[in-house]
Amino acid sequence: MMRKLPQWELTLIVLTLAAGAWSAYLSPYYLSFDQIAESTRHFVFPGILAIGLAVVVILGEIDISLASTLAFGAVLFSKFSAFGVPIWIATPLAIAACAALGALNGVLVARLALPSLAVTLGTMGAFRGLAFILGSETGYTDFDDSYLYVGSEQAFGSVPISFILFLVVALAVGVLMSRTVFGRRCYAIGLNKEASWAAGIDVARIKIQAYTLAGALAGVAALVWIGQYGSARGDNADGAILFVVTAVVLGGLDINGGRGGIFGVVLALFLLGTMRNGMGLANVAGPTQTIVLGALLIVGVLRPILFRGVARGYRFAFSRPAVASN
Amino acid sequence: MKLHATLLAGAGMAMALGLAGSSAFAKDSGFKIMMTPKWTGFPYFEAAAKGGKAAATELGDEFVYAGADHADVSLQVETLQNFLTQKPDAIELAAIDLNAVAPVLKQARKKGVTVTTFDADAAQDARDMFVNQLSYKQAAKTMLDCALLDAPDGGEIAFVAASPTAPNHTAHIKYMKEYVKDDPKYQVFKVVDTQYANDDDAKSYDVAINLMQAHPDLKVIISSSAVSAPSGARAISASGHVGKVFSTGFALPSAIKSYIKDGSEKCFALWDPEELGYLATYATHLKLAGKLDVTPGTKFKAGKAGEYTVGDGGEIVYGKPLMFTKDNIDQFNF
Repeated sequence: MMRKLPQWELTLIVLTLAAGAWSAYLSPYYLSFDQIAESTRHFVFPGILAIGLAVVVILGEIDISLASTLAFGAVLFSKFSAFGVPIWIATPLAIAACAALGALNGVLVARLALPSLAVTLGTMGAFRGLAFILGSETGYTDFDDSYLYVGSEQAFGSVPISFILFLVVALAVGVLMSRTVFGRRCYAIGLNKEASWAAGIDVARIKIQAYTLAGALAGVAALVWIGQYGSARGDNADGAILFVVTAVVLGGLDINGGRGGIFGVVLALFLLGTMRNGMGLANVAGPTQTIVLGALLIVGVLRPILFRGVARGYRFAFSRPAVASN
Repeated sequence: MKLHATLLAGAGMAMALGLAGSSAFAKDSGFKIMMTPKWTGFPYFEAAAKGGKAAATELGDEFVYAGADHADVSLQVETLQNFLTQKPDAIELAAIDLNAVAPVLKQARKKGVTVTTFDADAAQDARDMFVNQLSYKQAAKTMLDCALLDAPDGGEIAFVAASPTAPNHTAHIKYMKEYVKDDPKYQVFKVVDTQYANDDDAKSYDVAINLMQAHPDLKVIISSSAVSAPSGARAISASGHVGKVFSTGFALPSAIKSYIKDGSEKCFALWDPEELGYLATYATHLKLAGKLDVTPGTKFKAGKAGEYTVGDGGEIVYGKPLMFTKDNIDQFNF
């Protein structure tokens, strides 16, 4: 089921390579291992949010509150740091708290059968408000060094630890969605909720679990955020959700659920990251960058239509001679 | 043959460029200075970039101006990282969040890049100097002077800032509150509220409307955001509060000209962003050329922008406030 459209994943790889070549042409500074490795840092926090969102989207739901959950997580980390809590205790606690916010979304969507867009639009504001209330007016910057490690340090010379963390998260969730009963059920619900229910799947429970997972991943993204920016405030990651949704849609996930995989989302992030990196190094004007990324999103949305068109063209070109030769 | 010559010339030029880029020390000009504003496309920052470019051209430096099209701190950090990759001699920026840009700026300084902030400062240990448009006290006084033109008898005033962490806005408000409390000239005012509008036009408009509803006796809305102050004027006009409530603070003359001319507003203030960008770039150049020692008390001449003195903490105050009223608004075209 996950490999229903392998062409799209292939297309994304080709586009990423093309974007890399274009970037190398645009800027003499692009083509260096250190540079490319370092640039991945900027896509880790939206990337982790996108992986979480992908699970929810596969179920046929949406969660636009994730960036607010990240802000709540970041502020919570700052409180733990201020009280001298060791990082290995603070991390599971903060992730659990973010998971609880995710679970709340899940309960509202699944048990009360409310539309997920409306629910998470509400909690998007509510969670951010919570982050503002919990955090002080001025934000917090006095983190203990141990809190900053994941988001700021590098391994093997220039590879950000946060990027390695992203790959681990993507791999784990990818396996979860493609190789486990939970993943299978998510796809089943996304394709046909009623049939899944009739087949004995506890739809509500799976949905709550998926939202909880997405919330927990927002907590992981918060850990990356504080390390990378050394700053926790209520407005952290404000506006990031647009990029996250772009990555998920461009990754080939059907927004109605049931189709597409985590691998596609990872590739979409690579493509978006490569383009932003290249254009940034070439000092391309901000509005132009926004237009290019917007156009890419439209391509992502039009993907099924484009493929249908290509397939039709293919049949038109090759099937008739085959008939004639018979 | 001709092609051959062209190729050779091209290679020669590439080499010359490469050399110019690599010999970053012991020279007088040809520095690579990269500027990023809070966000691109806003006339204020475009004017600052124009001034920066003018200074760089005058001094024989390379000048690059780039940034995202909206104020987002993670995008600003990404821009700064991209700058750093391009091996500049200096970076100039108007910081969105003074702390979040600190890690990448410290990294830049470690690599020997001179970091200059203008308009909005970063954490002090993350930059070499801060070219401040007006001292915070001067800005606070200028805005209150404008408010006195609006409401000579005083009354209730409210503040609109970008966010609780915008360093210049919060400092302005702090000093305005002090003046209202301690300075007899401004004691006619009473501070009733402070709201945040994120340098966003629509949000500023809503905030102004809400302030007028929440405080029926409100006289003046003051904002040091050049986005929020004109939005406030628009909200006052649209909601029929002309003559009862006034908006003031910092604004581009082009954004408030119509309100000043039709008499619905009396005074806004600012400084010349173009000369601010010019000064920031000029001072950055002098530092790179080893002609400016950034220690308190050092005096220097910044070309046609005049003489300046380095203050405490590497702060250079530009300090030429402009007050726009119906008598002078036609003189300004930015």
